[in-house]
Amino acid sequence: MFTAASTAAVCGIAAAKDVDPIGTWSCVVWGHPEFGDERVLLSFDTTGVARLARLENEAVPAWNGLTAWVQEDREMRFSDPRTGRQYLADLRRENLGGTWRTLTTTGGWWCGVADVTVIPETREEREEVLPPILPLVTATPRYPLEAIRAAKQGRVVTCFFVDAAGQIVEPEMIELSDRIFREPVLVALQRSRYEARVAGDPLRPSCRSYTFSLDRLAQSEIDIE
Amino acid sequence: MVRVVSVATAMCLWSSTVLGQASSLRELSQEQADNRTVIGASNEYLAAGAEAIRAKQYDDGIRLTKIGLERPTPPRDRAAALSNLCAAHAAKNEPDAAIGYCTESIEINDQNWRAYSNRAYAYYLKRMFDQADTDLDIALAMNPTARQMPQIRGMMNERRLRGRVTMEEHQ
Repeated sequence: MFTAASTAAVCGIAAAKDVDPIGTWSCVVWGHPEFGDERVLLSFDTTGVARLARLENEAVPAWNGLTAWVQEDREMRFSDPRTGRQYLADLRRENLGGTWRTLTTTGGWWCGVADVTVIPETREEREEVLPPILPLVTATPRYPLEAIRAAKQGRVVTCFFVDAAGQIVEPEMIELSDRIFREPVLVALQRSRYEARVAGDPLRPSCRSYTFSLDRLAQSEIDIE
Repeated sequence: MVRVVSVATAMCLWSSTVLGQASSLRELSQEQADNRTVIGASNEYLAAGAEAIRAKQYDDGIRLTKIGLERPTPPRDRAAALSNLCAAHAAKNEPDAAIGYCTESIEINDQNWRAYSNRAYAYYLKRMFDQADTDLDIALAMNPTARQMPQIRGMMNERRLRGRVTMEEHQ
């Protein structure tokens, strides 16, 4: 489940080969919780054309033009003129994804290969492209004792794929404020499960963000042996 | 808990670098932090007391140190001996006695980071975390590289902070 390749990626070791962005991808795009997550299709061709289609539940999706995608120093960049989001991907990862930012907000995106060339128009077709995945067991990471002792707080964003059996595979750390939080997050992912889907369903991209924060106890709550 | 205290105290005493180097004629310096804990050979009882405390024989150490303190003792050595008594009582989970000795030590020599560190530990035992923080800050300012202060602060954080993990799922 947690392959050597994904372990290498998690540990910050560059993959032997960069991910090739050419093709169509089914992606999750997240940002501020108030705005919710988006499911989109992204398409990149060899001439630099980049397109995005939002797979909202009811609206009929359509391709929207993005700025031309460019690759510099194993990083991929493009932006969405409609939202002002500037997307960035580190192509050394195992999978396509990264971060986006506007002048005021930031977020991330994560993609799996989408085996489609035509935008699915009906809800049923879209669900086939991006079948819903439902958490079955959601494990919470433990707060590392060493982090409590050092009064460390932090944030971790991890993206992964969910296979047809509901297992989490190929987790990668998109954001890791401190290495001390890596192990508990990976353990929590290993213990988490999603509902199984139809056998043969493609891998489905998903992400989780974790915020590790510390609350100061009232004097009366403090217990000393 | 007591085991941890003992380890911390033993380390505190063991790591002293000026064992036997004290000059009874030296004036107390307000400009340079004094990292002395153990008394020199000028007072055998104090030296023996320090050795006993280092060996975690706290009752013997306290008894010998108290005998030593009844003899004429230079102020710096007296302050160090009181800090040792403070450490021994803290190790015995007697924070009130420890705080008294540390405070007396600091009144004589306010440049000994170990006295602040020891008193911080005693405050920790009494859950007086704000006072412990104050002493730890002073001790750290005097000796930023000492291991004792982060240890004590970590123990306090373990008690007074509660970790919370919140998760958002994106799909």
